[in-house]
Amino acid sequence: MSQVALPSRGSDEGNASRVKGGGHELTPFRRWIADAPAAYLLLLPVLVLFAFAVVYPLIQTILLSFWDIKGLGKPKFYGLGNFAALAQDANFRQAVSTTLLWTVFTTAISVSLGWIIALLCSLAPRATLVPRVMIFAAFGVSEAVTGYIWLGIFRGNATGAINALLTGVGLGDFAHPWLGDANTAIWCLIIAYSWAQTGLPLIIIYAATQAVPRSVIEAAYVDGGSPLAIMRYIIAPLSMPGVRVALFINLLGSLRAFDTIYVLTGGGPVRSTETIGFFMFRESFTQFKLGYGAAATLVLLAAVLIVSIPAIIQRTASVK
Amino acid sequence: MTKPTRVGVRRRTLIAALSATLLLAATPVYAQEVSGDLVLLNWATGNEAEMIHALEEAFVKAYPKVNFKEINLTTSGDQRGAIRAALQSGETADLFVNTWPAFRKELADAGLLRDLGPLWESAKIGDSLSDSWRDLGSTDGVVYGVTYTYGDRSAMFYRHSTMEKAGITTQPTTWEEFVANFKKLNDAGITPIAIGAKVWSHGEWFESMYEHLNGVKMSSDLAAHKIPWTDASVKNTLKKFAEMLNANCCGTPASMLAMDWNDAADAVWKSGTHGYQMIGMWNNDYARSVHKLTEGTDYSIQQFPAMGAGHDNVSSVDSKEFSGFTNGSNQAAADAFLAWITTADAANVIASHGLASPSNKVDASLYGPVMKKAAEAVAASEVQFVLGDLLPGDLVDEFRVQLQKFIQDPSDANIDAVTAAIEAKAKTFD
Repeated sequence: MSQVALPSRGSDEGNASRVKGGGHELTPFRRWIADAPAAYLLLLPVLVLFAFAVVYPLIQTILLSFWDIKGLGKPKFYGLGNFAALAQDANFRQAVSTTLLWTVFTTAISVSLGWIIALLCSLAPRATLVPRVMIFAAFGVSEAVTGYIWLGIFRGNATGAINALLTGVGLGDFAHPWLGDANTAIWCLIIAYSWAQTGLPLIIIYAATQAVPRSVIEAAYVDGGSPLAIMRYIIAPLSMPGVRVALFINLLGSLRAFDTIYVLTGGGPVRSTETIGFFMFRESFTQFKLGYGAAATLVLLAAVLIVSIPAIIQRTASVK
Repeated sequence: MTKPTRVGVRRRTLIAALSATLLLAATPVYAQEVSGDLVLLNWATGNEAEMIHALEEAFVKAYPKVNFKEINLTTSGDQRGAIRAALQSGETADLFVNTWPAFRKELADAGLLRDLGPLWESAKIGDSLSDSWRDLGSTDGVVYGVTYTYGDRSAMFYRHSTMEKAGITTQPTTWEEFVANFKKLNDAGITPIAIGAKVWSHGEWFESMYEHLNGVKMSSDLAAHKIPWTDASVKNTLKKFAEMLNANCCGTPASMLAMDWNDAADAVWKSGTHGYQMIGMWNNDYARSVHKLTEGTDYSIQQFPAMGAGHDNVSSVDSKEFSGFTNGSNQAAADAFLAWITTADAANVIASHGLASPSNKVDASLYGPVMKKAAEAVAASEVQFVLGDLLPGDLVDEFRVQLQKFIQDPSDANIDAVTAAIEAKAKTFD
């Protein structure tokens, strides 16, 4: 297939056409100046939107974190007092450890499941279309709705699906108020959230598996490779770029998760399922300690940045 | 007939004008012609919202030049967050529905509530509402709210059929009888009490026990942190609560902690797996409208049992009041409404919606048997506002979480730990 080489915006060929018209040669700096306004004009709508939706609220959050605000009382400047109080707050420390547990397990489970299902689907793309769509559909369901679906499953009385099932098969002694026990509530949440978040890794990794050249798979098949070996030694390693993207997206999603926790346990029992995101909500919107909540938000933001900056750098570097 | 002189006409005109001015000055503002938009910041939903709409309609009939407008806050859980957000974002309103005394103080301290003391006098609200309701609507001695409805929070709801199943023919009036009935209920496969400890309703039991064991004065002092949470009165109350838990009142701790307040109601009304619940008079309407039960025939209430500590003439209540915002633009209409809300017309609208009115003008025949029983019990008792709504937001949160810890482990050692934790939080508000 013949390829047509198009002149790039900054290439000599591209500028040569303009130079011909203008009758004189442009220096690289003048060329950059000539191009820059158009580029910024195109970027302007996004920049304005970004400034309104991200930069302004972020600055406001940073400013709020320096104030002691309790309800509708008069705010008092508090410096770094909110951050010092957070460090001393046993509830916040518990929220941090819950967030770590929650994030590690929900990400690991959802991405692993998505990966395994994607690899299996890659062996029979047509036959697995319907299950793929069904699993991905769960990702499209809102987190709150997911919460209500799983509330029906984990309900502690006889109407809960799991307890009804256990009773139905003669294992009624194992029926349990799953969401009222601090030892089981967090795992119920992890299962519910992971279920909903498996769809995206599945689609991303499945797309990565489809990018594996057919010739490589066919060669392996001709060389006597079993489907399992082909999956393990060829498709799985070559799907890693998709796995990394899915890992990154789900990790960020887990860090920020709120709705499922709110609906299923409300952070309880005894704050055992309270993540940083939920802590932030409780302090900011239930207690209306806006400064304190803003400080917790910035801690969460720092965690998100710690996760995302290396990933963004790595992605940007690979693009170059 | 002699022709009036110019001086005579002038004198008569002057007298007429003076008389009109005096008459106008002597007439309370609520009775004057009021008009314009009257804005209510409303967060009530369901039957209560319907009742408020009915009140608005009835008021507009009496004051046809007033146009009622509502700013409706749609929220779940604790509505105070949404109300604060609305106010901070610049919403203005003339009237506001409040149910939390601690929040009233926060609003009053922020200069957002109007002092209704002068209106109380000029409109003679005291003719309809007793001084105890005035006190209940006051903060630091200033009246900020006119109570329009209240609930008996010491009322334990039960279904007749559930009690019959357990062979309980008469309701217990003493603590000993009450605890003794747990065995009968358990033997019949019924969990005696539905305590929805997921968020807040487990606090109701502690509060009622505390009031019955220690009285209204000490309850108020505890709410105001004049008594430390590590006081023997608190610990003894928790020990009494432990007695109830150890008598297998409420299922496992995990089942209580998994149960929300609406689950607790359904466990009594719908599935019948539980015997009693004590989570407020909203249940009366809930049983009728959602579960289609007949008040008095299918279900009834029993006041919290006497504990024999000399303080049994007490009822825990909650209430809802209308307050006036200082940022409202139609204070004359707001005053007219606040005065009108205690009249027979308004009280009967409230009663016909299955809610209790504190006005002595109410036609009590509009109450159903359960509401009548509750109204009589409250009228015959010393009342104490429900403790959870008296505590500032952060403290009530800690109070409820520590009570959850107590439910998990009601041992004496844990009672010490739990009360110490609440006390530590309470000290941050001193």
